Amino acid sequence: MTPFRAMRRGYEARFEPVERVILARVARDVADMLREEAGLDLLDDTGAPGPSAHPGPGKGQTWANGLLAPDELTDADLARLTGVTGVSRLPTDPAAQRLLPTASKDDEDLADEFRRLTQNDVARAKVERLEALAALLDLPTGDDAPSTLGRHGAPPPVRVPREDAERFAGALTDVRLVIAERLGLRTDEQVTQLTDEIMWDRQAGREIPVATDGRAARRFWSGVFVAAGYAQETLMDVMLAELRGRRPLT
Amino acid sequence: MTSSPPPLLTPLGSAGTAVEEDTDADLASGVADPWVTIVWNDPVNLMSYVTYVFESYFGYPRHKAERLMTQVHRDGRAVVSSGGRERMEMDVQAMHGFGLWATLQESGARGVA
Repeated sequence: MTPFRAMRRGYEARFEPVERVILARVARDVADMLREEAGLDLLDDTGAPGPSAHPGPGKGQTWANGLLAPDELTDADLARLTGVTGVSRLPTDPAAQRLLPTASKDDEDLADEFRRLTQNDVARAKVERLEALAALLDLPTGDDAPSTLGRHGAPPPVRVPREDAERFAGALTDVRLVIAERLGLRTDEQVTQLTDEIMWDRQAGREIPVATDGRAARRFWSGVFVAAGYAQETLMDVMLAELRGRRPLT
Repeated sequence: MTSSPPPLLTPLGSAGTAVEEDTDADLASGVADPWVTIVWNDPVNLMSYVTYVFESYFGYPRHKAERLMTQVHRDGRAVVSSGGRERMEMDVQAMHGFGLWATLQESGARGVA
């Protein structure tokens, strides 16, 4: 993955295909988990099905190096990648609570009322932007695909339109919060140490391993966490620079 | 949050001199601002993102946004806005939308100062 850069039509970064596929998959998992935990489907008076259909390659189509297309990546595939069955569905309660936290530590009535008034809106907005993030990361498909492939068959960069950038960054936050919950990251020091380990591995040329045990699964999710953090950090760099450039000095 | 607030959004109109002074003690004694929004530290959110949220959503200038971010990071929490209860509920909801953990409470309540 390359850092996000400010371009005319938005913020752009190049992701490895596997980074796009995995991040998109995790974003959809978090969206599904949140929809379920918040009970949004029950409230949906349109009766629309839960997960929105997303564009993807035709059935059976695979990408170079055998990578599965986003909608071909099954729970079993993720389980194989991570070595942990059931890993495709992120843990529910603590993670959902982190995305929809209490608004008061010591006033239950206030917290309950706040949740009743706001949770659906907050959850729905998060689900929508997580799905938008996933759709943006999906590899180009169909007739467009060959012509948009760059040199060496690399997919085109991920382009985040400026008007969507805040939602994109927010969705990355939600993904990172859920993975951190799953990894049991509780302190700044733990996150710093984990990030250092992953970056060290990267520099040493060690790729994310195909997981065969719990330790490798942890390494896998740590890699996803750090990659999402890198995307967000470099996106914030350019967004902050532009935000400040538009404002008068005070 | 499905849309961004205007980037030039000025600091909250309801936030009186208490916010300008910007200490918990001042906020706690502010008669005009009976409620406060508190943002809590977490190990996940990036400092740059938290700063961005404070600048973008509240319209705070860079130095104030960075000071509040540092306070959250170092002290574990910071009062980021004050005002009427409804306004604070909006702020807390917005912070949750951004993925920050925020709570609201009466400014004179135990634990604010």
